[in-house]
Amino acid sequence: MSASNNDISVKIGPVAFKNPVFLASGICGYGEEYASIIPQKKLGGIVTKTITLEPRAGNPPPRIRELPTGALNSIGLENVGLDAYIREKLPLLKDLEVDAVVSITAETEDEFTRIAEAFAPLEGYRGIELNLSCPNVEGTALDHGRDPAYVEKITSIVKERIPKKTLWVKITPNLADVGLVARAAEAGGADAISAVNTVIGTDFDLSTGKPIFARVGAGYSGPGILPIALFKVWEVAHSVSIPVVGIGGISSVEDARKFFLAGAIAVQVGTALYSDPELPIRIVEALRAHPEWARREGGST
Amino acid sequence: MNFTRIEIPKPARFVSTVVENHQLSSRYFLMVLSKPEGFPDPAPGSFLHMAVPTSGRFFLRRPFSIFDCNGETITLLIVEKGEGTRILRELGAGETVDFLGPLGEAFPLLPGQRILAVAGGVGLAPLYYYQKFVSRTLDKRVCPECYQLVYGGRSEEDLFLSAIDLADEGSLLATDDGSYGFRGNAAQLAEVELERNPVDALFSCGPTPMLKAVADLAVQAGIAHWVSLENRMACAVGACRSCVIPVSAKEQAGKDVKERYKTVCHDGPVFNANEVIWERLPEP
Repeated sequence: MSASNNDISVKIGPVAFKNPVFLASGICGYGEEYASIIPQKKLGGIVTKTITLEPRAGNPPPRIRELPTGALNSIGLENVGLDAYIREKLPLLKDLEVDAVVSITAETEDEFTRIAEAFAPLEGYRGIELNLSCPNVEGTALDHGRDPAYVEKITSIVKERIPKKTLWVKITPNLADVGLVARAAEAGGADAISAVNTVIGTDFDLSTGKPIFARVGAGYSGPGILPIALFKVWEVAHSVSIPVVGIGGISSVEDARKFFLAGAIAVQVGTALYSDPELPIRIVEALRAHPEWARREGGST
Repeated sequence: MNFTRIEIPKPARFVSTVVENHQLSSRYFLMVLSKPEGFPDPAPGSFLHMAVPTSGRFFLRRPFSIFDCNGETITLLIVEKGEGTRILRELGAGETVDFLGPLGEAFPLLPGQRILAVAGGVGLAPLYYYQKFVSRTLDKRVCPECYQLVYGGRSEEDLFLSAIDLADEGSLLATDDGSYGFRGNAAQLAEVELERNPVDALFSCGPTPMLKAVADLAVQAGIAHWVSLENRMACAVGACRSCVIPVSAKEQAGKDVKERYKTVCHDGPVFNANEVIWERLPEP
């Protein structure tokens, strides 16, 4: 089939993207790392690695554990911090011709406000994804991500400052009712819900009898979480009327199609990029050949 | 010390075929790949990130240091450790492989300096390739005769004498059980050799205890030491920050940065040994 020029662009909030396939936050760094390996500009976009107000060193190693069904990671939000991101990383995205959504997190309202205000006057990015769901850091970011009132407040603080950009709120699957948090983000003015972040898991070293990771809990990703992510996306899509960006365990074109069936308007590829860096491009090509596989409107069916 | 970083070409993804998997011993094999068009000449110390070809389960790619590379082939020295490396060993001639590369920082060029390179196990790969690289490139900045390789294995079987020309090329050989050459490990043989023939710098690659011992030798002798480290990796291009090791942090005024990490895949795998915090190195 050579229908490769089909329009599969997708509008998420005030921003149109050329197609609905993205790289997930934390997977592709700041955009420069994979520049010579895959043509990222052919994707709908990338979500850059989560940044915080101050630089963070991240968690002590080991940080990764391979499993037959994916991987556990405990990176701990290692990042260059807001100032270095704006000074050194943001300008690269323009050179790479990549449409980027910037992932951010913070521990307090004041920090979220300061980060949002720093981005408000800037160009060179298409939106912000609020990471309110990283399992690999102490305390507040994840805990707040479970609190609907807080999620609504943070969402509105950030959206107010970047009205012309798209604002996505990334939620944790480690909740009984993801709809509550998703509705709170919608009430706060989110343009989309990114669902889901990693599933909390752990593993033990049989030779030492101890947990693999210093923080014990770690983020489980990869093909093993696909059914969990699909169901959470389905739940969210039936809870809100804004678009849902589906994430979790996509390792084939068929997996991506299932997220559209579950109600997502776009997808993000994560861990599979490490084994199969061409996968996101193959998904774009498949959707161009079969635009009916993608979903053009947000909300539940 | 005056040294030159070898410029590293940008990595890309390549698809190639297996020319031959050559079993060297019960655990070790050489994987010879046809060199794909456009694959740049890799620097010694750089590595490939190989996909494990299977549809049965999830695998991260596996990093392997380049053992040799000439006009037609790329050779990797691999020790079989688990299911991923077993699948790679069982690949036959003509089967397809998929890798990213060349990746990572290389060992530096040290103009006019004498180097003792200490290798154990699969750590032989980058240090063997350094010797080949230097003699082939005929780079005026280095002299092949200034480079002495020391290699150690558990026993004679691990020296691969029938397949690799180490003895012929004047490498110094050690076995833990004394079945060939010096009885002891490569670091112990290096210590003996250092007393006989002082050098300006040490290179090392191999098991962590050996690397630590070489680091101690370098400190005692007051000479530079570059070490190639291993770790579990996911992306291999510096993006995911999975493969970090702790390095000594310079004080940053006003910043609460207690620890600092560098990636083995992108900042390394070759590091200046004096920045490595040996006691907190993760087990690969």
